[in-house]
Amino acid sequence: MAGNNPGSPSEMREAFGRTLVELGKDHSRMLVLDADLHTSSKAGYFKSAYPDRFIQVGIAEQNLFGVSAGLALEGFIPFPCTFAAFATRRALDQVAITICYPALNVKIPGSYAGLPTSRAGTSHNCIEDIAVMRALPNMRLADPGDNADLRAIMHAAVEVEGPVYFRVTRYTFPDLFGPDHTFQWGKGVIVRPGNDVSLFGTGMMTGMCMKAADLLEKEGIHAEVLHLASIKPIDKELIAGSTARTGCAVSAENASIIGGFGAAVAEVLTETVPVPLVRIGVRDRFVNSGSIGDLFRIHGMLPEDIAQAARSALTQKTRRMP
Amino acid sequence: MASLSPEKLADLEEAAYQIRRLSIEMITYARWGHPGGSLSMAEILAVLYFHTMNTDPQDPRWEERDRLILSKAHASPALYAALALKGFYPLETIYTYCEPEGLEGHTDMTRTAGLESSGGPLGMGLSVAVGCAYGLRLKENPRSRVFCLLGDGELNEGNVWEAAMSAAHYHLDNLIAVVDYNKVMAKGFVWDLMSIEPLAEKWQAFGWDLLEVDGHDLEALSATFYRAHWIQPRGKPIVVIAHTVKGRGIERSEFNYKWHTHAPEPEIADAMLRELSRRYNRPELGYSRLGNDREKETFYGGE
Repeated sequence: MAGNNPGSPSEMREAFGRTLVELGKDHSRMLVLDADLHTSSKAGYFKSAYPDRFIQVGIAEQNLFGVSAGLALEGFIPFPCTFAAFATRRALDQVAITICYPALNVKIPGSYAGLPTSRAGTSHNCIEDIAVMRALPNMRLADPGDNADLRAIMHAAVEVEGPVYFRVTRYTFPDLFGPDHTFQWGKGVIVRPGNDVSLFGTGMMTGMCMKAADLLEKEGIHAEVLHLASIKPIDKELIAGSTARTGCAVSAENASIIGGFGAAVAEVLTETVPVPLVRIGVRDRFVNSGSIGDLFRIHGMLPEDIAQAARSALTQKTRRMP
Repeated sequence: MASLSPEKLADLEEAAYQIRRLSIEMITYARWGHPGGSLSMAEILAVLYFHTMNTDPQDPRWEERDRLILSKAHASPALYAALALKGFYPLETIYTYCEPEGLEGHTDMTRTAGLESSGGPLGMGLSVAVGCAYGLRLKENPRSRVFCLLGDGELNEGNVWEAAMSAAHYHLDNLIAVVDYNKVMAKGFVWDLMSIEPLAEKWQAFGWDLLEVDGHDLEALSATFYRAHWIQPRGKPIVVIAHTVKGRGIERSEFNYKWHTHAPEPEIADAMLRELSRRYNRPELGYSRLGNDREKETFYGGE
């Protein structure tokens, strides 16, 4: 299918919809629930393929997650589909207490996560979902780097028992991985080796880190780029191992840096071998409507910003270790 | 349905009595809990667990069982008592209420046999029950019913009405919501804090079949729940509005919001339980751990 075929880039939500259908074929207990957004999220592909396993709850996100909990109690694998903003803000109590607390087998896609929401603006640009979902006990959390990564994450989500939250960004990703790409919970990957500075990316920001590494290479700076789709559990060994070699780091996320992915990297570094870390992401601001380019420029999340952060991290390293 | 035999009626009365006793025992010993909403639903739980619902304490996850989702999870003492009396775990377990490895303050289904869900925040349970009822239908299980026990105050929550709307939309006639309408919330009367009336009309307007009952009348409850389980289902979810008295059974706690969340001192609990036994024409019996209670907890000079 086109959405899963590396080499023919399509929107991540297309890959999401097609992977739902693909999973539905092998997992008869899988259900997809929708809160009146299925043509936006592309969960509607599942509706067309398996109408009897598609449940419309209307515009009622609290009910969406409560009903999913009940279906999981009866042995089903529900995918309650809505925008990240509503899954993590509107229905957080339901997600926390009815699903996470008893560790029910519910897989939560956060559609339109982060900045690219087609100009929908502040109410829909969900920047705190990583921080919020990461703090919930029993919850696993992943932010895919491209469509192949998303597909692998969705397979891994169904293969593991318990609650999962994964982000689906409304963006057409350049391919980062090949068709044989696999995903493991708690495992990151080095996508570009280097020894001067570690660039830790998650979600669409790993691609931005790759472009930043190109810029740095022209200055003779060899950046290592690491992709950490699995934000929880996070790959502590990979993070600490990379910075043991490079001595400084940048984190980059399509979200708020407060409590998010950069914070998770910082937690690992401070509890292992602390090194200078500069975090790229939204800095304690709401994200207004705008083109994706404008938003990334305003919030300092472009490859140029990541490269500048890397230079800053390198300077701090040099000051510490003259 | 034939009326209850005198023996069955006596059994149900004993169950309701014990649910009240054990609720006060565990709340007193834990020094925390919600007596008012536990006492008001003693007959409801007695009839559900000892008359209406099919459950198997030896096989708590038996597929054909009836499910009970306790949405008003703060009233867990009454449910813990009912489950203990039913044989899901030993009676002594109630003295682990609110202890780290014991019976959770609200409800934790992963730790206690017989619990069907985890809860605490109000207004969520009916959604979970809708999911269970929908799931049972997908599994083509026609015999099991999902009961959801709600408080009246929690009907202030919007989530309840989202769930109510969806249950009717899905035609879930295997779902029975029971409202413990005790008229009293945490800090006052329902009509005063946030009125939910006209309540019967609300449920009917949301597409539910309505039954109303005196929630302390064991025969009426038995007949009503039997009807809801077997006779009434016709493509609509069913709500049983059970009119009750908060804190029922002990004078000082009846119709009194101050006993919504309040653990009695052991001496007070002793008097309360003696009064309760007199009201039930039982030999006078006080608090079983009087003088053998836990010390009040202190923590680095504070408490």
